[in-house]
Amino acid sequence: MRRGIVRTLSLGLLVTTSLPALAQDKLTVWFSKGFYRSEDESLWAAIKKFEDKTGIKVELSQYAIQDMIPKTVAALDSGAPPDIGYADTYNNQAMGKWAFEGKLEDLTDVLQPIMSRFAPQTVEHTLLYNDQTKKKAYYGFPMKRQTLHTEIWGDMLDKAGFKQSDIPTNWAEYWSFWCDKVQPAYRKASGSRVYGIGAPMGVESTDSFQSFYAFMDAYDVKLVDNDGKLTVDDPKVRDGLVKALKDYTEPYVKGCVPPSATTWKDPDNNVAFHNRTTVMTHNFTISIAAKWYEDSVNPSSTPEQREAAKKAYEETIITAPFPNRPDGKPMTYRADVKPGVVFAGAKNKAAAKEFVKFMMEEENLRPYIEGALGRWFPVTKDSIESPFWQADKHRKAVYNQFKSGTEPFDYVKNYKFTQLNNENVFAKAMNRVVSEKIPVEKAADEMLARIKQVAAQ
Amino acid sequence: MSATLATTGVGAAPVTARRPFRLNAWQTWGAILLAPYLLVFVFFVVYPVGYGLWLARHPASYVHLVADPIFAGTVVNTLIFLIVGINVKMAIALFLSGFFTHERRWIRWLSVLFILPWAVPSIPTILSVRFMLNPEWGVVNQLIFRLTAEDGPNWLNDPRLGLTLAIGVHIWKSLPFWTLILLAGRLSISADLYEAASVDGASGWQKFTHVTWPSMRALYVTCTILSMIWTLGDFNSVYLLTGGGPADLTHVLATLGIRYLRLDQVDLSMAAVVCAMPFVLPLVYVLMRRLSK
Amino acid sequence: MSAGIAGTPAATARALDLPPLRRPGRRDRWRAAGNEAKLLLVGIPVLIWTLIPIYHLVLFAISPKQDAFSGALFPANPTLRNFEIVFGQRHYFQAHFWQQLGNSVLIAFTTGVLTLVIATSAAFAISRLKVRGGRTVMNLALFTYFIPAAFLAVPMYKTMGAYGLLNTKWALILAMVTIASPYAIWVLKQASDKLPLELDEAAVMDGATPMQLFRLVYLPLMAPSLVAIGIYALLLAWNEYLFAFLLLSGDRDLTLPVALGNFLAADDSPWELLMTTGLIYALPPAAIYYAFRRYMVGGLTAGAVKS
Repeated sequence: MRRGIVRTLSLGLLVTTSLPALAQDKLTVWFSKGFYRSEDESLWAAIKKFEDKTGIKVELSQYAIQDMIPKTVAALDSGAPPDIGYADTYNNQAMGKWAFEGKLEDLTDVLQPIMSRFAPQTVEHTLLYNDQTKKKAYYGFPMKRQTLHTEIWGDMLDKAGFKQSDIPTNWAEYWSFWCDKVQPAYRKASGSRVYGIGAPMGVESTDSFQSFYAFMDAYDVKLVDNDGKLTVDDPKVRDGLVKALKDYTEPYVKGCVPPSATTWKDPDNNVAFHNRTTVMTHNFTISIAAKWYEDSVNPSSTPEQREAAKKAYEETIITAPFPNRPDGKPMTYRADVKPGVVFAGAKNKAAAKEFVKFMMEEENLRPYIEGALGRWFPVTKDSIESPFWQADKHRKAVYNQFKSGTEPFDYVKNYKFTQLNNENVFAKAMNRVVSEKIPVEKAADEMLARIKQVAAQ
Repeated sequence: MSATLATTGVGAAPVTARRPFRLNAWQTWGAILLAPYLLVFVFFVVYPVGYGLWLARHPASYVHLVADPIFAGTVVNTLIFLIVGINVKMAIALFLSGFFTHERRWIRWLSVLFILPWAVPSIPTILSVRFMLNPEWGVVNQLIFRLTAEDGPNWLNDPRLGLTLAIGVHIWKSLPFWTLILLAGRLSISADLYEAASVDGASGWQKFTHVTWPSMRALYVTCTILSMIWTLGDFNSVYLLTGGGPADLTHVLATLGIRYLRLDQVDLSMAAVVCAMPFVLPLVYVLMRRLSK
Repeated sequence: MSAGIAGTPAATARALDLPPLRRPGRRDRWRAAGNEAKLLLVGIPVLIWTLIPIYHLVLFAISPKQDAFSGALFPANPTLRNFEIVFGQRHYFQAHFWQQLGNSVLIAFTTGVLTLVIATSAAFAISRLKVRGGRTVMNLALFTYFIPAAFLAVPMYKTMGAYGLLNTKWALILAMVTIASPYAIWVLKQASDKLPLELDEAAVMDGATPMQLFRLVYLPLMAPSLVAIGIYALLLAWNEYLFAFLLLSGDRDLTLPVALGNFLAADDSPWELLMTTGLIYALPPAAIYYAFRRYMVGGLTAGAVKS
């Protein structure tokens, strides 16, 4: 009924917009904007190649990352979604819900023939539950993934009087090292207001909860079991959570994290690091290092600027893993796998699946992933072994971290966590502690209560 | 109001009344000329409002809304924003409108500069304030650090300070407008009244309470109500300054809708607006009574 | 009461243009030199309060990045390099600067023209032709004007999605016309109510049709108000952030304010370029305001507050 009204209205309103007249030979594709020119250029090249090969016209729209979900939701609501969508935020903030509500197209038949090409812990992340069919199926085509690293200014560490080998591997000593040793020493040596640790805590950032998961993992906190059932009533979970929250917020309370960290959005920990406001920061991808690489080849910079950027990338900036867990075991990492989707309401599903098949071919996908300069790690076994990942120390560090194995986030197992990520109950708890001075135990209890509440909705 | 509506048809222009055979042509043209706005109204006011209400139709949305801890905080913030923001702003505007009645060359120049905050778009200036107050790189804290070797306040990252500063930005932006309106009100008071008061030996304060205020009161009240409604819809001052942060603690109703849109919970965003209606509609009603003449 | 807000364009224009020695009686109280000092005591803080954010904006725009970030209070090494980068579209985030500036201009002008057409004909129909139901329409329009635009934003976004207009310039133009029209109609109706009825009668005696009356009598007499309202709508659209940011998203479709907002989400926030672009963006409305301020203070005021 409503759709009928809408259609009449839009007919009456033939003001502009090319109505998709002959949908048959046209494919509407939405991708979030890349971070680097090289990334977008590889995508455009792949699309061009697809058009030449199949004769299907691709209409590509690229939007800012933060706009992708609202745009897509509006398009879904009005019954005119694109055929294919990809956003860096779909997987952890929307996809599980869409699959549950039956808004995504089952891609099992497209992925089945290429299953053997995927590395472990990649395609599994797109196996999601659909409440309409009461079954799990593959609702996305995984293209890339990311995980948690730390970035360090080696020269600032030098200036503070330490060497890279001085960095402890013990959990407690590690955090104390940056806060109690490096920060005061650097401040003394330079006279400038610099902070030891960049710990993202903004509710509007995904970095904050991605980092916080590492702290929860350090204390073996599992909020859901493998079937997606909440385990938050387990007293061990609460204990671990309190410890994780305490460790995460303590450096801030002690003045070792920039005060603005509580409102950082995703780019801001990068910005603080680039401006040398922090000596070390955790970051979900190596985008920090990659920015300096891009600067080193940017034709519009001066040769001196390029030289300085090259030095920063190749020498001064260090990409390193986390310290060992408090129990002495090596750290385990969660990874985000980023899939694109075909919408159930797509007008041109056959062509969309054709495009997915084409995009997943090694020779088309790899340039797009490597165009991101190390920000994204590949999902196929072949691409992982590409020489690209051995080309420098940052990429090697990423390679090693992924090789040692990663685990999925909770939203893969329970789609309600997409909303919890979206609301960011994790950063909210941090803010309760550091901005509102609530005891850590109380903040943890509130967080668990909210998780239960949302999961029950 | 229905009484006035009923009479409009009859009390048509004398021209038309005297020439009844023209009535049809005039009415037809009137309808044609009114049509474009009516179309806009139907397609872009009636339809969105209806759509909004339709989205907010489920009682469950309101249950979720109330259960969201951010909503309660937002209501409190909105009330603080309105009560403090408007009263401070209107009081200063009333005071400054008196200041600007003084005839000095430099005051005239000042009045020209004074308009700037409201003549320039909000984004660049609000972002400028935002950067000025950044705790690490902002000029304010750098200055404090240079002078005292202490870290300055956490400005926008402190929920209380953040909201206060958002109110400050709101005042900065809209103060010139209200000052001008009240200044116009002051200038329309007859000079004779002041002269008579002077002759009676009235002090400045007595002139204000006996001459200025009685003539300005109605205008002041209308302005306050109008400002209340507009302030309720002030999105930029909060969104561009704090973005609702830290931890969604400085949201007001105007920015909450966008938050829920981002969270893919558009029903809550409309439910929040619906919750504000019992407060807004009486104000709108009063204003319509006062202004639709 | 209608003299209150209704009379704003004329009354505030007068206020800004203070004729000298209007009130000799009041001068007496301010003779003493101490009073001058009191005035300064108010004037100087007002000046500082007003200018600080704007000064900071300009300071950033003419400083190299390192200076800007080091918290300098004065431009030690003023430079126009930031402008060169912006105008030359040399930064990845500003690869479409001219296009976006063009979008802003196009959208502002179209909104201005459309609002004028819609509001003038509506005001003429209501005020001069006394069309049946005109008063109801006037009240509906006024009602719309009083609903905060931010509350309409989300449904408007959904509506544009439903019409299939999302991410096109028309979405923003139509939304801005919707927001600008009520006030425009209201002001034009007030102004046209003040035109003497005898004019219409004379024209009709001469056998003029309604459209001739509209074209030959009404429009010329209303010219000053039309200028004010046209500019009001134009600036409203130029300044708009919320609706623009919701309704547009492709890099090539954005208006400047949205592009500025997107800087905040950039991996490497070039604040000095943001401020430079912001300054460039703020100049046209300021210039228009000062050029037309006698005519259209009222229009601008309402516009600025409403946005």
